[in-house]
Amino acid sequence: MGNYRFHTPDGVSDMLPEDCRIKRGLEQKLRTLFEVSGYSEIETPGIEFYDVFASGDFVSQENLYKLSDHQGRILSLRYDGTVPAARLAATLFRDTPPPLRFSYIENMYRFSESGGGRQREFTQGGVELLGISSPQADAEVIALAIASALEIGISDLQISIGQADFFRGLMEQWEIPQEDAEEISRHIDQKDTVALEKAADRFGLTGSAKETLLLIPALFGTYDTLDDFEKRVESPRSKAALQNMRDILDILDDYGYMKYVSVDLGMLRSLDYYTGMIFKGFTYEIGFPIISGGRYDNVVSVFGRDLAAVGFSLSLNLCMTALHRQNKEFVPSEVDTIIGYSCQPGMRRLALAMAKDLRSEGLIVLVDCEGMNEEDLSLFAEKRDIDQMIFLNDGACDCEEEEI
Amino acid sequence: MTDMLTIALSKGRLADQAIDLLEAAGYDCSAAREKSRRLILEDEKAGLRFIMAKPADVPTYVEYGAADIGVVGKDTLLEEGRQLYEVIDLGFGACQMCVCGPASLKGKLDQIPNKRVASKYPHITRSYFEGTKRESVEIIKLNGSVELAPLIGLAEVIVDIVESGRTLRENGLDVLEVIADISARVVVNRVSMKMKAQVIMPMLDALRGELVKQKAQGEEKAAQ
Repeated sequence: MGNYRFHTPDGVSDMLPEDCRIKRGLEQKLRTLFEVSGYSEIETPGIEFYDVFASGDFVSQENLYKLSDHQGRILSLRYDGTVPAARLAATLFRDTPPPLRFSYIENMYRFSESGGGRQREFTQGGVELLGISSPQADAEVIALAIASALEIGISDLQISIGQADFFRGLMEQWEIPQEDAEEISRHIDQKDTVALEKAADRFGLTGSAKETLLLIPALFGTYDTLDDFEKRVESPRSKAALQNMRDILDILDDYGYMKYVSVDLGMLRSLDYYTGMIFKGFTYEIGFPIISGGRYDNVVSVFGRDLAAVGFSLSLNLCMTALHRQNKEFVPSEVDTIIGYSCQPGMRRLALAMAKDLRSEGLIVLVDCEGMNEEDLSLFAEKRDIDQMIFLNDGACDCEEEEI
Repeated sequence: MTDMLTIALSKGRLADQAIDLLEAAGYDCSAAREKSRRLILEDEKAGLRFIMAKPADVPTYVEYGAADIGVVGKDTLLEEGRQLYEVIDLGFGACQMCVCGPASLKGKLDQIPNKRVASKYPHITRSYFEGTKRESVEIIKLNGSVELAPLIGLAEVIVDIVESGRTLRENGLDVLEVIADISARVVVNRVSMKMKAQVIMPMLDALRGELVKQKAQGEEKAAQ
């Protein structure tokens, strides 16, 4: 017993004051941006019924933290922000006419491999736009994701946009059954052209069909990529998907964000989840995407309300790591001013009033509690890297202010 | 930003072959040729940094972005199941992942209930038996000389890579089922592929070009 009392479990960690200050700063920026963009913040429980996450078949059970309540029902820690928001939209908000715009900044728990920047408990900020199925909505969410990254200081940003329906349309056009389509999507997603070529042969795709299939993981660009595929596909579903991408790009151009985006129709992860546009955000010095989002029109219907949905989440922990490695992190100061006072009558009252005034101006102020004399206080301030030291002595007019 | 490329190589023959190919494709790999015990070999001028890793760790380095590119056998990729871009089949290091056992079991594998399967590759074994064959088996993880297991009754069959099949034959074993073709692959980190596309794409193109050239030369030689 007690062997683990000094340790934290795998994949979670203590956040020390400096990191905590940085993180709160980023959270505050995100929160403000979400609010002014019209996305009301919600807080959903850290513990949900297991069924909430398991129902839609979107999350594999191995990745859920599970526990049980006193009645033996299975519970799960919050896995993501989307599913609880979908549950809310279909239950408590069932009578609220769409659109609904929600945002969240919360800790998520995923029982997957940790390390290398990946944690089992991590903070995501994100938004859900529910009830609108239009390229404007798609673009609004992508633009907000870009704005979020820029807002917290990630300026080297690349957003790749794909479209799940483009692939589905192609599979329909070529009459490839669901199970085989899944295999093909896996190969495309891994850009595994070797396996893709073999699969094409196995499913009888030849000539231009095979060529098109092999181009999916290979082509990146913007309008040019869409044009290339436009000529190659006949499926109305795929053509509509390409048109959706074109519209999204047009709108992102109006936002002034074209320089951050590129088209990658080979992004096909979690195909059973995404129903339209899919996007991911990347930056330097971190091996995982920092942003992940897309359209998932089937998620809310799991909870009994037919509501289109598009959203994104940004991993604050990964962004912090990236900012740190890019030497772009802003470290807010720990203490701006320390105030000490002599034992003469009235000095303490003065010190406390002064601290109150300075704090109301936004400065971080400490008042000495150890009865240090001026010299000790000065040494203390120097050691702690505190910019300003004030020692109150013999009446207000004589107060000495020292800049260190 | 930093356009230095970090390449993780599987220590051993695979690394040598990968370096040969990179050099043939026009990349200066003299840093990697250095005979030393250093694990990181850097050539700032060429913009390349090589890390010499244990093969099983290469996918991990690449998935986490500690390396941008890796060269590793398909067997390791299947076993590790990492989220990577698997972009080129280099062709060398070719072999097969197989279920092997006494020749007497040929065609009768499905008749043994509750099989014990010994392997260095527990994940491949599990996904083959549970996923492809829809059968639950007991997996016994071994670290080498897996052929021993069926000989001394530790397991009915094994899952292992088979190159020439000589070890198998000399121990009275045979290939019962082929799971997958194995060869060396180039893998790329998903973020690097986007953020360093301007250096990675030309490298991949050069490697593909070189492979096509070598294949043509090989065929020409064979024709003569």
